[in-house]
Amino acid sequence: MVFENIPYGPRSYVFSPEWFYGFDSIIELIAIIVSILLIYYSYKCFKLTKENKYLYFSTAFLSITLGFTAKIIGTLAIYKPTITRTSIGSTIHEAFTGLTPYSINAIALIIHFFFMLLGFMTLFLIISKLSWKNKRVIVLLAYFVLIATWISVIHYQLFYATTFVLLLLITYSYYQNYREIKNEKARFVTIAFGILLVSQAFFVFVIYSRIIYVLAELIQLLGFVYLLIPFILIFKKKPKNRGL
Amino acid sequence: MEVKRRGRLEIIADILRSIHDKGGRIKPTHLLYKSNLSHAKLKEYLEMLVEKGMIEEQVVKGKKAIIMKEEGHKFLLEFDRIKEFSESFGL
Repeated sequence: MVFENIPYGPRSYVFSPEWFYGFDSIIELIAIIVSILLIYYSYKCFKLTKENKYLYFSTAFLSITLGFTAKIIGTLAIYKPTITRTSIGSTIHEAFTGLTPYSINAIALIIHFFFMLLGFMTLFLIISKLSWKNKRVIVLLAYFVLIATWISVIHYQLFYATTFVLLLLITYSYYQNYREIKNEKARFVTIAFGILLVSQAFFVFVIYSRIIYVLAELIQLLGFVYLLIPFILIFKKKPKNRGL
Repeated sequence: MEVKRRGRLEIIADILRSIHDKGGRIKPTHLLYKSNLSHAKLKEYLEMLVEKGMIEEQVVKGKKAIIMKEEGHKFLLEFDRIKEFSESFGL
């Protein structure tokens, strides 16, 4: 369903079938939890090693977390208009007087588009080992993120097509990484991003069938679960024989 | 061929791993050979590790030995986790 507020302006989208209302938000909440774990650990690595790559990695997942949070807020605005009747809900609603659930949804989606694109772009930059010293490349890619966000507001499909391309590049880089180090955890990371890539392909076509949205969300959930596996495996590692 | 220099953390991890691989106790001369550092540099690192509570120096029957402590084991485990995290996530 597409709710248009302003011609060529922000649009409000709801692709979920009614029986799936809220389940997509739960899936995104799981994605947020996985992302927060990665943010926490990579930031801890940064504090210990002072190596900027860990800080950038946590920034990428922070951006993805903000993107998913915005989507949850946006979709819940449509799913649960009764929230505004609660005391907290009405307070928040008063702060945004004049905003209908559809305009909240439309604004939240712009924020979602921007942070998801920024997050995947940052991740792509990190794993491609592009030099952060090359400011011109960074500025050009930041401009690309802004343009992609802007056009995605008018044509949501462009957003998923862009995340698909970014994830394709990310997955390929992770595949190369796996081939190089032949590590079980690296294989799980590659599979996780491969699954997320497939989910984005499904998202491109959600306008044609609501069931595609359900499938895309479930595939996305599987991708984030796979992303959690290498993280768990690393932490399951017990200290070796302590000798004396 | 590019030769990558070891960072401070890698050097500490290499020292601790050398002690660990010898069962948690090593002779200073053996450590000097294993760590691939100059005598002065190794002394500097050992003083720092003693200060951080990762190792201790013991004299048994007139012979000096370097012993790894709990903090040293913890550091080595965390270092290995960071390394694995870094490799797995392509960092």
